[in-house]
Amino acid sequence: MIETRDSNAAALETIRLMKQKRERNKLITNIFIYALLIAIALVFIYPFLWTVSTSFETTGGIFEFPPNLIPKSPSFRNYVDVFALVPVARQILNSALICFIGVSGSVLLATLGAYPLAKMNFPGRDLVFYIILATLVLPNEAGMIVNYVTSAKLGWLKSDVGKYVAVIAPALANVAGLFLMRQAYLSVPLELLEAARMDGASELTIWRKVMLPLTLPTLSAFAILQFVAFWNTFLWPSIVLQGDRNLLPLSAGMLDLSSQFSTNTRATSAGAVIMILPILIVFLFFQRYFMRGLEGAVKG
Amino acid sequence: MTSISAPETRVGSRTRFWRNILTAYGFLLPTLSFKLLFTFWPIAFGIFLAFTQSNIIETKVIGTQNFRELFGTQEFSARGPSPYFFEGMLNSLKYLLCVPVIQFLSIGLAMLVNRQIPAIGLFRTAYYVPVVTSLAVVGFMWKGMYDQHGPLNYVLTVFGLMDAKNPSSLLNNSSYALYAVMLMTVWKGLGYYMVLYLAGLQSIDRTLEEASVMDGANRWQVFWNITLPGLRPTLLVCGLLSTISAIKVFEEIYVLTGGSSGTYTVMYFVYAKAFQDFRFGFAAAAGLVVAFVSLIFGLINFRLTRGNQA
Repeated sequence: MIETRDSNAAALETIRLMKQKRERNKLITNIFIYALLIAIALVFIYPFLWTVSTSFETTGGIFEFPPNLIPKSPSFRNYVDVFALVPVARQILNSALICFIGVSGSVLLATLGAYPLAKMNFPGRDLVFYIILATLVLPNEAGMIVNYVTSAKLGWLKSDVGKYVAVIAPALANVAGLFLMRQAYLSVPLELLEAARMDGASELTIWRKVMLPLTLPTLSAFAILQFVAFWNTFLWPSIVLQGDRNLLPLSAGMLDLSSQFSTNTRATSAGAVIMILPILIVFLFFQRYFMRGLEGAVKG
Repeated sequence: MTSISAPETRVGSRTRFWRNILTAYGFLLPTLSFKLLFTFWPIAFGIFLAFTQSNIIETKVIGTQNFRELFGTQEFSARGPSPYFFEGMLNSLKYLLCVPVIQFLSIGLAMLVNRQIPAIGLFRTAYYVPVVTSLAVVGFMWKGMYDQHGPLNYVLTVFGLMDAKNPSSLLNNSSYALYAVMLMTVWKGLGYYMVLYLAGLQSIDRTLEEASVMDGANRWQVFWNITLPGLRPTLLVCGLLSTISAIKVFEEIYVLTGGSSGTYTVMYFVYAKAFQDFRFGFAAAAGLVVAFVSLIFGLINFRLTRGNQA
């Protein structure tokens, strides 16, 4: 009797110890994992911290051994400087204009084009679908060259408005967006469309009143992806706009700034912070949409 | 009754049939016309351009002369193959080294962040921020990182790999500069592939892993037999994406070194011939060769990742 009670107690004690050990192991694993996560995060974030720090630093060397991230006498002077060096305010407006037209245009194209691909039966539908799909894999190394020739031949490079058309137009039809929207449309119940058609609604009305409201989350995801793309792209705009500082968007202006004023690292880093900030805000606010868009684009 | 109404419905359905087609293509018209002008036309006209001598003003068909100049045959045999073209092609092929590195690291990263612990979203975000940052900014930041007195050189001096008294930038060192640019590419791209692999991991049936753990499989066996096969479709897409972008690498080089110190790539050649020398025909010919090479590597990639399954 006493023996069994003893062995029971012993067993309980072992279980308790095992549990404790397992919890301690889990704790150690978690500490290890967090240490790893933080170390990796530092690698990804450090260049940003350096840029922000440099943009507020006004005295001493830019680089020191060992590196120092806390500005000794922080001020906004570099920001004032960069606005004096290049027309930053103007370039922000240029970027905003390009993004606004580019995003609305590409969203319009994708939402329109995906509708018949998802919800209509018509001859050639699969063919159209595969032809558009093929553009993703067809090698198009001379694309930029031909687009430049096309823009010149169409007379777009002669005026400021024309140049903006040339900057935006080639990026408007977006295949990933088309697939994203098609995928979203497919999940809209057919009964809804039939009911609307019974009521005599035109296809355009159905698209506007039924499809768009029901797929708003995907539409937003795509819009955000496109905003980032239009805001960040710099090569094609700088080719088309040929270094006219008053026409350049911020991204191309940033490249111009860092090459023309390469000795003024502080002013350039202030420019870099101005350039990143809107993207960071949009990204942090709409992160969920963002990831959904990205994953959808690959699955679609 | 029926004999009268039947033709009517047929006529009705026929007009409806045509109206249906018209509506469908009406919706597709904007996308198709933009695709036609900016995707299909460039492919067709790009191939044509490759056989011409062309600047913005005039275009003259010259047969395969551009290719003879590139490869240094016949009338160009004395001069030999275009030196920068082959140097660039070699560097672009070297850039393929990024592909396994990125895939390996991003799978690891995805597995690391694929757990439900507090603040994990914060870390995922931190790893993703470089992806949404413009290369124009990333190039500037990494020039700072690689500066003679910059943080990376500090790390190197700490490990005794760099002379602390007289440090020099890796970007000016022709044996390391290309790898230095590759490091930036890996840093910028990891988050993107991490998210894709994360989606892949989350689509794997968890019960499979649990069952094999129950059956006594160790972690490595689970990874090798369950996780990796489950990731195969993602691996195929990611491998292809990164292979193609490695061969076509240009913007990274452009923002970081401007093609100096042995970092000149073949797409840099195409860009320089087109937009610095304005030899559109010659540039298009070089572009066509790049297209051909990237197609081959795309196919190789496809076979490698598909191979075991088929």
